Amino acid sequence: FYWHCVQQHARFIERFGLKELLRAKLTECGWRDQLKAHCKDVIKEKGLEHVTVEDLVVEITPKGRVLVPDSVKKELLQRIRAFLAQHAT
Amino acid sequence: MKMEDMSLSGLDNTKLEALAQDIYSDLVEDACLGLCFEVHRAVKQGYFFLDDTDQESMKDFEIVDQPGVDIFGQVYNQWKNKECVCPNCNRSIAASRFAPHLEKCLGMGRNSSRIANRRIASSNNMNNKSESDQEDNDDVNDNDWSYGSEKKGENKTSVNPCLNVFFVTLAEQAHLYHMLFSFSGELSNSVNADPYKYNYNTGINYETLGPDELRSLLTTQCGVISEHTKKMCTRSQRCPQHTDEQRRAVRVFLLGPSASSLPDADTMVESDCYDASDGQVLMSRLQWDGSSDISPSDSASSKASKRTEFRSTFCTFIQWRSVSSHPLLSISLSGTNNSDSKKPKKKKKTSLGLNSTGGGGGGSGSGGGSSSQTSLVGLSNRKKKPKLPVPPAPSIYDNLN
Repeated sequence: FYWHCVQQHARFIERFGLKELLRAKLTECGWRDQLKAHCKDVIKEKGLEHVTVEDLVVEITPKGRVLVPDSVKKELLQRIRAFLAQHAT
Repeated sequence: MKMEDMSLSGLDNTKLEALAQDIYSDLVEDACLGLCFEVHRAVKQGYFFLDDTDQESMKDFEIVDQPGVDIFGQVYNQWKNKECVCPNCNRSIAASRFAPHLEKCLGMGRNSSRIANRRIASSNNMNNKSESDQEDNDDVNDNDWSYGSEKKGENKTSVNPCLNVFFVTLAEQAHLYHMLFSFSGELSNSVNADPYKYNYNTGINYETLGPDELRSLLTTQCGVISEHTKKMCTRSQRCPQHTDEQRRAVRVFLLGPSASSLPDADTMVESDCYDASDGQVLMSRLQWDGSSDISPSDSASSKASKRTEFRSTFCTFIQWRSVSSHPLLSISLSGTNNSDSKKPKKKKKTSLGLNSTGGGGGGSGSGGGSSSQTSLVGLSNRKKKPKLPVPPAPSIYDNLN
């Protein structure tokens, strides 16, 4: 059932452009640049030649999650709830 | 959608909220992953660090925040006091005046009297260059009068550019006169052996001409010297502004007592000449616009105001162009605009001219045709040689209509 929901909300997301919305908001608020700077540090640390995707992912994702500003988070949650409410009936 | 509806309807609020949170974190992770992929690709492709420069360069290009200097550190008026040497005249010119000076110096700008210079040059060389025609059209275009360019492809004579040049420098309404004298130039081409000089020099100063030239000029022109401007009248032998006595006096004065007989107008009068003298009428009107009060005498043509006369002959030439076969038609049509009420000289002329060329000459011509017959007849009677019987001309014109 859970996977079913996951699939469904993936479809939700695509259909309602939530992904794009989030990306736009994050860029706008500077989250992206912050994270990119962090990436640079990681790369310099690990060495330019040998950095892998996994390295980056492991380092960056948790920081990224934290760095999302509250306003963006709240707005997104609102939208998600709204869409869910629309389709719950 | 149907399946989603079915599955979601069974959820309560807490689960919905949990679901929402899940979705949210999914989205954020997705964004992070996207960023990671981008960065990684940039690193591997080698363009990740491109927007960073080394510290030294960063310092060089730092934003400057001092007074009197812009953000690049440059002073505002730095080049104002510098002087450049003009390559043309080799003078040292201030930098801020350099561009206008160059315009004048090279004779390429709008107010650079390049026409005047060209006139001088061509009067020295008596050359006819095709560029001068084009430049005239540039002048013409400069003055927002595009009709002149239409005539360009047709008869290029040695007279055209010179005439145009002459009247540009003379009058303020130079563009109109351009038009006119391009026509009159073509027309008078056949008449005078030395048309350029004829139109150009005599209008200015009789002193510069030799006796032979004077004689030849006096056989074709009225020649009476105006008191105001000390210039010879360039109108025809029958010009209404001066009497025969005056003409005789001038000839005596200029050529000596033996040359006092007025030459017969017959010899010079041809169909083309008439139109040429019409052009001279306009030319002299040009001069008179600037000088003071010469009251028109009692000819039919001068009874109309100067303006309408001018306009009429203007349209004459235009219609002549459009008809392009019968020069006399222009005479018959010259009266057409006498009945027009006063209109601003410049604009109406252009519109009239354009109308004429557009074939609207028929409309305007037939309207004024009948009323102007008398004036036409009066006009033509003043010539010793009838300019072709006037009645046939309007009939031809009607046929054209």
